[in-house]
Amino acid sequence: MLKSVSGDYWSMRREKIRYGWNKAKRMKVCYLFLLPYALLFFTFIILPICTSIFYSFTYYNILEPARFIGFQNYVNLFLQDEVFLTAIKNTLVIAVITGPIGYIMSFMFAWFINELPKWLRAIAVVVFYAPSIAGSAYTVFSILFRGDVYGYLNSILLQFGFIDAPILWLSDPRYIMPVLIIVILWMSMGTGFLSCIAGLQGVDKALFEAGYVDGIRNRWQELYHITLPSMKPMLLFSAVMAITSAFNVSDVPRALAGYPSTDYAARTIVTHLFDYGFSRFEMGYASAIATVLFLVMVLCNKAIQSMLRKVGT
Amino acid sequence: MSVKNEMPQGTPEKTPQKWTRADELHAQRVRLGEIQPEKEPLNKKRFAVKALIILLVVAALIVAANWRIAFVEDLMLRSANGETVEMPPDGQYAPIYRLVRLVLIVGGAAFLFYAIIKLLAPKRRKPNRSFWGDLGIYIMLAIIAVAMVFPLVFSIASSLKPLDELFRFPPTVFARRPTTDNFSDLFVTLSQSYVPFSRYLINTVWITFIGTLGHVIIASMAAFVLAKYDFPGAKTFFSVIVTALMFSGYVTGIPNYVIMSRMRIIDTNLAIILPAFAAPIGLFLMKQFMESLPTALIEAAHLDGAGEFRIFWSIIMPNVKPAWLTIIIFSVQNLWNTNAATVIYSEAKKTMVYALQQIQAGGVARTGQAAAVQVITMSVPIIIFVLSQSRILETMASSGLKD
Repeated sequence: MLKSVSGDYWSMRREKIRYGWNKAKRMKVCYLFLLPYALLFFTFIILPICTSIFYSFTYYNILEPARFIGFQNYVNLFLQDEVFLTAIKNTLVIAVITGPIGYIMSFMFAWFINELPKWLRAIAVVVFYAPSIAGSAYTVFSILFRGDVYGYLNSILLQFGFIDAPILWLSDPRYIMPVLIIVILWMSMGTGFLSCIAGLQGVDKALFEAGYVDGIRNRWQELYHITLPSMKPMLLFSAVMAITSAFNVSDVPRALAGYPSTDYAARTIVTHLFDYGFSRFEMGYASAIATVLFLVMVLCNKAIQSMLRKVGT
Repeated sequence: MSVKNEMPQGTPEKTPQKWTRADELHAQRVRLGEIQPEKEPLNKKRFAVKALIILLVVAALIVAANWRIAFVEDLMLRSANGETVEMPPDGQYAPIYRLVRLVLIVGGAAFLFYAIIKLLAPKRRKPNRSFWGDLGIYIMLAIIAVAMVFPLVFSIASSLKPLDELFRFPPTVFARRPTTDNFSDLFVTLSQSYVPFSRYLINTVWITFIGTLGHVIIASMAAFVLAKYDFPGAKTFFSVIVTALMFSGYVTGIPNYVIMSRMRIIDTNLAIILPAFAAPIGLFLMKQFMESLPTALIEAAHLDGAGEFRIFWSIIMPNVKPAWLTIIIFSVQNLWNTNAATVIYSEAKKTMVYALQQIQAGGVARTGQAAAVQVITMSVPIIIFVLSQSRILETMASSGLKD
């Protein structure tokens, strides 16, 4: 009895595989279309990740061949490298604050902007989106937050008498983080924001009319019962974008707080990775850092996706 | 679509004098944004005019800067020859700048006033929106918008300040005696660099052009089959792409360096171009957009005996122009801003952004030029976005992640 059932199972499996294989043979032109992209994608995205995982178990400095050392890199990373623990702490602080706030801001501002008439909406979209595409425009904050009296913020505070000596915004470990968070929030309305704007314009207008008839009284009810459920795909997409930008913070701290920063107060996982990869050429160790970052990001993404699926249902 | 068809169409043409209740309703719903007025095709003339105006402004700036260089150099030459010449005070253009500033401020205020009046006019509001709620949201939006735009304005204003005003206490946002000296100094510095600046510019333009072209073609080919055919492995491949959206260049940067050095493409343009071909965001947006095309289009072409390549090239590609534009823009923004410091080492192959960052790193003496550099690098992507906003939003509407 058991044997025949399992035999059925295996023959079914085999049938399925044969069916898939025949289908694949019939549609081989599809694979031809996919080939160039798949090849490049494999070489520059999949292969690096596999290589990274492989090298994370070795000692590798580019000059000598890689030497297998087991979990030593990870052990050093978590038990001996205090700077890495600071980096993890900083990255998590930045990600936990700027990720959700930036994400909510993207959606809320997109929603508010969507109520504006068309001509004003076009201007508002440019104003809110510009900081994230303006390249290295964030370096202007190093003037606004400069530590001497010529810094814009310091001079204002001095003039109004809030402080009597200039504050070293970008060198004092107490102030680096808040400043960085402000700058990152300023830049956080990127692709996800655009997606929300576009998604809001595509929500079926008949739903709103049905809402008026069914007695939706204010904008918040409309948001919860109509807008959010229809926006779910865009929300998922911008969540992916928000996670990406929240965990990959590195240019802003390097440009503003210096590299390395005072007391490693602005060290993030990615700047730590840069330090080991491109300054010290300890590629094995750097690969271990990259692997940790990669795992954290994938887990975070899974958690948020399963959370967002429940929105508005 | 269906909403539009319900409305009585062409009534105004038949009875031009009589404005019926139905027209009134239709007009009101268009105003409320409930129905989209018919979408006009991309107005090439207007686009060209806009582009021309921007080009003219840029050209005028460059001409003015060059004129200024020639003028100052002439004075310097004459003073070197022993003539006593009077260097021009920086403030000689001040009245013009002051006028421009006045016009800008007055114009801005009038614009805001007009906007608020327009926004709060009662007929604009949807039935379930309260007046005070609207007002509060507009005020909040205005405040946040000012905060968002302030750093950008500040950096533009700084680039117009003479050196002494850059280090003034208390610092001001707008220059007292604005000049274009920073830009003309930048041109002088650029003309003196070890490798001619045009070389950096050509490198960047070449990388951007080839990288974008290849990316659009390769990604659309892959997107086409992923969106329109159901073959084994397609779903898995796409879910891998979605996960890959999260990897910025940093996670893959180090092993990429190792792989590229094995492929012997370190220190060549290919090290920037090939990874740009494989950017997942382009494929993702293209696939989502192509899914909205009717499958009947492809079936009809199949019946007419067209092969897959023909369908792709002459039926699909012309129909996804907005998506092209969007992924072109994302790709251009990405490549235009690459400094590629980790994969390019020869001076003659470096990119423009790298060269500009070197100038920016020149310390206190180059503060003014650094501000000018910043304005130049940030204006390119912003201008591109402004010109193509509506097309980009059209594509982003299909960007959602369905599960």
